Amino acid sequence: MIRKEAVKIIANHIGKNPIISANGFMSRDLFEVNDKESNFYMIGSMGLASSIGLGIALKNPTKKVFVFDGDGNILMNLGSLVTIGSLKPKNLVHVVFDNNSHESTGNQPTSSSQINLAKIAKTVNYKIFVVQSKTKLMSILKELKNLQGPIFLLVKISVSNERSKRVSWTPKTIRDRVMKSL
Amino acid sequence: MNEKIQRTIFHYLKKRKVKNFVGVPDSTLKYFIDECLKNNNIIITTREEEAIGIATGMTLSKSDSLVFMQNAGFANSISTITSLVELYEIPLIFLIGWRGYLPDDAPEHLKIGKIQPELLKIVGLKSQILTEKNWKVKCDWALKQIREKKPCALVIRRMFHD
Repeated sequence: MIRKEAVKIIANHIGKNPIISANGFMSRDLFEVNDKESNFYMIGSMGLASSIGLGIALKNPTKKVFVFDGDGNILMNLGSLVTIGSLKPKNLVHVVFDNNSHESTGNQPTSSSQINLAKIAKTVNYKIFVVQSKTKLMSILKELKNLQGPIFLLVKISVSNERSKRVSWTPKTIRDRVMKSL
Repeated sequence: MNEKIQRTIFHYLKKRKVKNFVGVPDSTLKYFIDECLKNNNIIITTREEEAIGIATGMTLSKSDSLVFMQNAGFANSISTITSLVELYEIPLIFLIGWRGYLPDDAPEHLKIGKIQPELLKIVGLKSQILTEKNWKVKCDWALKQIREKKPCALVIRRMFHD
């Protein structure tokens, strides 16, 4: 499974719920497969998708908030896991698409293949799920509906040469659309 | 800045609908932060960028937010300020404790302390220095900035040694 396929499966499944997607190819994939008002596409500030997601989750307790993170991104802000784990937002689903590489900058390796990201998340109070196949991903998504967060969903993906187009909305428009949707 | 005014500033801002106080502690802002703690109205983060991210999420949810930090943490945050706060025009109030304002402060603060005003200027974040005399006017200025959807910074100088 490549990131774009996994992004499509999850985004289609969760409907109108807000998604905060990490910078780089992550946001581009989401924009191409399922553009909607409540998507906050990050362009810069690598590492902060989960922090922005936490802020939105705390202020919108009736909405299920999704973070679309990458392995390189979360490794840049591991402290965020600690803060999320200590505040325990019930409505936060933190998805990490893990291809063991910085795909957006040319496939340089991250350290995610050498360590266990899910175990780290578990230690800081997340409920964890690890999936590798599309079938398993779809069955986990159904299961998630009735679970309280914070949830950490590690989706193992392979690197790909497929390139999605850039997000065409201006940053200010992205902001205004998200604010309107919340 | 004295204890009483720091504590008063928290309530002054809170009364004017600043709902969230997120950041990394700093000794210059000790009493302000203590008042946030006393009122159970604070998130202490692991790094300053993280605080800016959380406050951004809250502000996108139409809930006004302040991020507090030391100026060393402001230096950590420059890329986040330019590529998130300024790029998306997220109206946050930064409250920054200015170490290295006194030329005989601890050595690790001297370089950043010296370039602090210039740093704010280059980054393009409008800022004002908060004192025991002008704090009300400057807080009103900051509130006006965020209501006009502009981020801004309030700076408190560290005038003592410990």
